[in-house]
Amino acid sequence: MRIIVHNAKCQGHARCWAQAPDIFDLNDEGYILPGDIDVEEKDELLASRGARSCPERALEIDRTSDALLDRLLFNQHCGG
Amino acid sequence: MVRDFSLFTSAAMQRTKNGDPHAAVACAHAGPPIFFSPYNTRDGRGTWVITRANDQRKLLQDTATFSSHRSIFASALGENWPMIPLELDPPAHGVFRSLLNPLLSPKRVMALEPAVRERAIALIDMISASSTSCDVMKDFAFPFAVSIFLRFLGLSDERLDTFVGWAKDLLHGDGIKRTAAARTIVAFIDDLAAMRRKEPADDFMTFVVQAKVDGRPLRDEEIRGIGVLLFVAGLDTVATAIGFDLAYLARNPRDQELLRSEPDRIVLAAEELLRAYSTVQMIRVATKDIDFEGAPIRKGDYISCPTMIANRDPAEFECPNTIDLAREDNRHTAFAYGPHRCLGSHLARREIVIALEEWLSRIPDFRIKKGTAPITYGGHVFGIENLILDWS
Repeated sequence: MRIIVHNAKCQGHARCWAQAPDIFDLNDEGYILPGDIDVEEKDELLASRGARSCPERALEIDRTSDALLDRLLFNQHCGG
Repeated sequence: MVRDFSLFTSAAMQRTKNGDPHAAVACAHAGPPIFFSPYNTRDGRGTWVITRANDQRKLLQDTATFSSHRSIFASALGENWPMIPLELDPPAHGVFRSLLNPLLSPKRVMALEPAVRERAIALIDMISASSTSCDVMKDFAFPFAVSIFLRFLGLSDERLDTFVGWAKDLLHGDGIKRTAAARTIVAFIDDLAAMRRKEPADDFMTFVVQAKVDGRPLRDEEIRGIGVLLFVAGLDTVATAIGFDLAYLARNPRDQELLRSEPDRIVLAAEELLRAYSTVQMIRVATKDIDFEGAPIRKGDYISCPTMIANRDPAEFECPNTIDLAREDNRHTAFAYGPHRCLGSHLARREIVIALEEWLSRIPDFRIKKGTAPITYGGHVFGIENLILDWS
């Protein structure tokens, strides 16, 4: 899973960091650092909680890569 | 499009025994999402009222169309200067915000935590050693929140009652009291700034008088604008939140027991209580004629974004009027949205969590004292008083 960071939307609520301080990094002013975040599978629950708690909708959960993989595995399973 | 509604004068906004002003305003969702309310300010001026969380978010993020410069405090004195950074719009807003953000950042607040907790424990221990009942606002919430805040500003606790009195007059008093309080606060801040210029100390006002923005020192009016805002913003908001939260727990013993036996739940629960008992309305001024979600807003019109209404929006929150202390996905707007998000929110949150943690771990099963009734009211900051808890 990947978190797409819409840096310009961040207003420093720091709700993501409160949920998952090891996944979301803040600068000295309390705003999120730029750059999308690749999330390891074990951290997905925490990361998605953090992203879903952003009041400004600055964090977008990108599951496209997961979805592609799922489809691929499903197709293989079905012999497709 | 016009509705009889006012956060100041409507029936449920008056002082009410066992009142629930938040539930009263949540009824707005039964009507149109945007309406005009002819008396929705203290001075009786009308505002558009935005009820939906999503519309409030859009509006508060669009600072070019919806200005925050209202000179609300100075206008009470017949003057015109902004409280900073609240009443400055971007881009001017940004330089001051950057100056002040590090003082109240999440990491900075972590460093303040031990002192905050120590203060809470001292007050609660004093209460429980002397009685099995207390007036929570007078004996705990105000002394706790205001002393933390005074410590942050570098002021001593000795004048705590005086400062709280000024804030009460300013936020809840009639016109004459309000003007007098505004004058007193401005004089106090001006004097303090002058004192710290002459004799620097290790405190907030010294930081402000020595600070630079865009490579120049701050002007007197800017120092005053920052001092007044910081002084006023922390005086009764956190105390009020703690009051509403403890009143809720006093009336809901099952939730009280849940948090007492599983204190790890308090952080999440505090967010739900912030949602359910938000106390502030944001007001903006339209900088141009605009049709906003069907509302014909004209240049100069006031637009209100009451947090307590957005936070009960059924489009945003499942069962918004149910208080569910385990609620997740709680993107509430208690600290507003956009560039003006509450600068003190991180400290406020920690104070609320610590107050609940220490209260629940030290005070046994408590309820509203028989024969008493907490009084609630609306206004610029919603309030609660006469909250007598009993654990005999």
